[in-house]
Amino acid sequence: MQKILFAMLAAGTALVAVSAVPASAQDTPKRIGYVVNYATHEWYQNVIKGMKDHAAEIGATVEVKDANLDVAKQVSAAEDFIAQGVDVLILTPVNEEGVVPLLRRAKAAGMPVVLEGNPVKGMTTMVAICDYDTGYDAGVAAGKYAKENLGGVAKVMNVGLPLLSATVLRSQGFMDGIQTEIPDAVMVHDLDGGGNPDRALEVSTAALAQNDDINIIYGINDSSSLGGLQAWKAAGKSQDGLLVVGTGGEGLAFINAMENEPSYRIEAAMFPEKNGYTAIDAAVKVFNNEEVPPHIVSPTAPMIGDEWSKYYDYDGTTRSIKWDAVNALVPPAKCTKTAADLK
Amino acid sequence: MPAEAATAAVAETAAPLPLEMTGIGKHFPGVIALDNVDLSLEAGKVHALMGENGAGKSTLIKILAGVYGKDTGTIRIAGRETSIASPGDALRQGIKVVFQEIALISEFTVAENIFLEQYPTGRSGSINWKKIRQDARALFERIGFDVDTNARTGALPISQQQMVEIARALAHEARIVVMDEPTSSLTPAEVALLFTVIRRLTALGIAVIYVSHKLDEVFEIADTVTVLRDGRHISTRPIGEHTHDTLIQDMIGRQIDDLFPRSRGQASGKVALSVKGVATEKLRDVTFDVYAGEVLGFFGLMGAGRTELAKAIVGFDPIDKGTIEIGGRPLHPHDTRTAVSLGIGLLTEDRKGEGLMLDLPVVYNLSLAALGSFARGGFIDETAEREAAQGYVDRFRIRTPSLFQEIKNLSGGNQQKVLLARWLLRGLSVIVVDEPTRGIDVGAKQEIFALIDQLAADGHAIVMMTSEMPELLGLSDRVMVMGEGRITGSFSRDEATQEKILNAAIV
Amino acid sequence: MVSEVSAPPKSASLVGALVGNNQIVLVAALVVICVGISLAVPQFYSSANIIAILRQVAMVLIVACGMTMLLITAEVDLSVGASLAFVGVVAMDVINVTDSVFLGALAGIAFGALVGLVNGLIVTRLKVNSLIATIGTMMILQGGVFLYSREAIQNHHHLPSFVDIGAGYVGPVPIPVIVAAVIFIASYVVLRHTTLGRYLFAVGANEKTARLSGLRTTWLKLFAFVLTGALVGVAGLILGSLMNAGQPTAGRGFELTVIAAVILGGTSLSGGRGTLIGTLLGVFVLKVIDDGIIVLQWNQDLQMIVPGVVLIAAIYLDILRRRADAR
Repeated sequence: MQKILFAMLAAGTALVAVSAVPASAQDTPKRIGYVVNYATHEWYQNVIKGMKDHAAEIGATVEVKDANLDVAKQVSAAEDFIAQGVDVLILTPVNEEGVVPLLRRAKAAGMPVVLEGNPVKGMTTMVAICDYDTGYDAGVAAGKYAKENLGGVAKVMNVGLPLLSATVLRSQGFMDGIQTEIPDAVMVHDLDGGGNPDRALEVSTAALAQNDDINIIYGINDSSSLGGLQAWKAAGKSQDGLLVVGTGGEGLAFINAMENEPSYRIEAAMFPEKNGYTAIDAAVKVFNNEEVPPHIVSPTAPMIGDEWSKYYDYDGTTRSIKWDAVNALVPPAKCTKTAADLK
Repeated sequence: MPAEAATAAVAETAAPLPLEMTGIGKHFPGVIALDNVDLSLEAGKVHALMGENGAGKSTLIKILAGVYGKDTGTIRIAGRETSIASPGDALRQGIKVVFQEIALISEFTVAENIFLEQYPTGRSGSINWKKIRQDARALFERIGFDVDTNARTGALPISQQQMVEIARALAHEARIVVMDEPTSSLTPAEVALLFTVIRRLTALGIAVIYVSHKLDEVFEIADTVTVLRDGRHISTRPIGEHTHDTLIQDMIGRQIDDLFPRSRGQASGKVALSVKGVATEKLRDVTFDVYAGEVLGFFGLMGAGRTELAKAIVGFDPIDKGTIEIGGRPLHPHDTRTAVSLGIGLLTEDRKGEGLMLDLPVVYNLSLAALGSFARGGFIDETAEREAAQGYVDRFRIRTPSLFQEIKNLSGGNQQKVLLARWLLRGLSVIVVDEPTRGIDVGAKQEIFALIDQLAADGHAIVMMTSEMPELLGLSDRVMVMGEGRITGSFSRDEATQEKILNAAIV
Repeated sequence: MVSEVSAPPKSASLVGALVGNNQIVLVAALVVICVGISLAVPQFYSSANIIAILRQVAMVLIVACGMTMLLITAEVDLSVGASLAFVGVVAMDVINVTDSVFLGALAGIAFGALVGLVNGLIVTRLKVNSLIATIGTMMILQGGVFLYSREAIQNHHHLPSFVDIGAGYVGPVPIPVIVAAVIFIASYVVLRHTTLGRYLFAVGANEKTARLSGLRTTWLKLFAFVLTGALVGVAGLILGSLMNAGQPTAGRGFELTVIAAVILGGTSLSGGRGTLIGTLLGVFVLKVIDDGIIVLQWNQDLQMIVPGVVLIAAIYLDILRRRADAR
């Protein structure tokens, strides 16, 4: 079912040039309201970009309000949308408990809701990537790379973020994935890099000084992997025999790094634009009262070497997604592990 | 009747004394603060406790207030031996100490402060505000003083806050009230009122300890005087047995022949400071000249504008109108930097707030204004700085264990000498001194007077603001009297009498 | 009266007057921490780790030198973390546009100094308390940097000389360490041996006294603000260089690390008291703890908790010492 759907979507996009609207019996919502939790972040910038791109294709408009990490602001923004009578509401919840009553009120008002990113009790459906699987696939790719280029040795420094279950799942997935290729791969250092570049740099500096046998740096986001790499460089080490793996691929930093840093070879790309795109598809479905799974998975893929150019155009200042390639990716029907499995 | 029998009879009939402290000793690391000191009070009498700074008065009072513990000795309250564990404990045992720094909650109303520890409550346990206000008013009636019990305490002048403290004493049914330097920031009228209230307290049978080093006050209010010196008990005598001289002698351990030395002759006739038509928010058309080599004294009651004038002529506060010339050069721009470079500076009345850098060593305090003269290319020649500072420490007999002692550890008199030295090191020609002996004990006062006299003899022009009549008359070559921001009288040294000056001061 | 009875002179030297025994506590703490970690993990005293610590110390110390002077004048600047991020972004942008590391560095330092000047003017002219004023500028800068650029600004021209500012070496010594050492020594000399340094103490100890003595108090405070700002510019350049990008999200909590280090070193928040030697030790204590927790592979949440405990303990010991002195 899922496969058919995605094949259809891909085909539909390919046909845009020929026929303005994909042939389907669906009604399309006209106005979609999106309450983002933190519009400042590059990730959400790109989610919004993907939403707007796809909404334009189907002849809908997306209005965006920013909760700026404030749940009260999020609730009032969502209520504004409900009062204005948008056709569908999309939410990236600031915190999971905080928006439960909001969902109840939306249901009472007959407002279809799609969640993005994180699940909330009482939701109809959510669009999100699988963190564990993203890490796992990157781990497998890293294992293969290490076999070929690093003599089959994998001593990993994880620049992690223990605060969030999503980022813990990424790190777990990465280690599980790499061990399918190199069974004695070990995590030498498990760091809290705070997800921001200067902190990641600082903690990596200390870890690298202590363990000079580290040969793989894994970062739970691009700031973390880059922080780790910069610490490596600042220690005056050569990048020969090092592999850096980033996660996310939300901005330009990773493209820059893959172009210029010999060790930055793998990026576990999460395609935020595609997340937005998928959320719009889900919005159309709930608007039509179609049956939807509780978790619609948005695809991710490890990009190795210069593979990034398969998915993105980059003109030196901005990047744009290549929808054909991204839409051709087939996501898993279900995540192998979720936050619930961590408990 | 034999003498022994008479004493026994008295002992049987008389009530026990409200307080007897015997053989009290207290030491701090390296210092003996009190050594075998006795003090006993009689009900309904005012007992003055005198001595120079460092004599042990504060330690004794703090032991009585439960702030410090004693090392040796016994305390009896109403004949019963006791110990005082804390300030709260002191209050429960009927001892109320009114410190110089008033310990009221400034955001609370007067009535709230009075009943702080024991709010009367209604049946429901809620505070009975009406009763609090009524009771507070009743207390003020007993001491014969009227104050708005609903006023925010912090908004009241110090004198009225003292009354609130006294009312608190009555609310706690205190039998002993200790007043620690109560008049140091009061106007003469407020002092008179305070004395009326103290007499009311004694009429109620309360024993009062009055700590002060103002001789006139002690002669007016005290029944008995105990003098401490260097932590030791020197004398306890009825006030009638003392004269000014004997009391000072007890306090400083030597005789003061001449409190106001006069070594100088006629002023030079050269105008050092010329103030013309100066007006500010508080000052109106103030005009005067000061000559090199003279002391010009300014007298005025509280609020007359003396301090305002002092701050205006040294460039600290702005002026609206008028001109100020120092040595013939105008003070323009009107700021302290220009003023100091022209040779005029202020020895402030508020040493802690405006004069001292409390946490910094003596030498840094002393050299501050003259630091530029010890520097080459911005770098300080510290050896020269120290030598110059040491010179003043020796010349002024500034008692400090080292140039690097933090100045807050010096006595008021020594601090004042450092501040005076700061200006002399800078080489000022005009020094404005505002209340130069405030908070300074008798022995040091004399030294300050001698220094001021010497400075004038050396050719400095001194402008002295003071509210102390003896100081004014003893030191000044000429006297100007201020009232409500104007000059209301001008007298030569020969014309000036206390009566004429006061007449001019009361506008 | 007790205070008046003269305590014995603490030390006959100038150092003794301005430097308290507080530093002995810090030196002891530093030695204990270093020996303890080294016993557990010998790599702690590897040259690689020592250099790593020195580089981290350098970043904080550069700003802490200015902050020490600012605190001595009884003011504070909480905007240094937010400014740090902004400096990196501005410098990187200017380098990308002009293709000149020199102009970029100049722009970064000038930007930092400008922030300092604005802080100083708000405090001295508008008379807004510096704690509040700089919380305000901190918020403005945090928001402003995103208005300026939501994304990290990359090093488009890949100029190696920019990377060298943070990651380069002279012999075995990282360049940031040399920069920090120069700034530290210069600050030390200014504070200890010049009239300017003494006047900074005077303004902080008692501003009215300083003014009555003819000092330009406003100017002195402005100087401390601008200096702190310019040093943030230097540190921001180093951070930008280390990350090879202008990161708008950088510098979070940096102001707290700097201020904690300065206070740990015995500088008083109420002004008029402080030493740069103490600040140096304070920075080392905090950064060694930071590094040690990673090397020991302890839970990194302790990186916040331990310095918090150390800070309170050190200040309490200082209070005890002062109380003993006062007796």
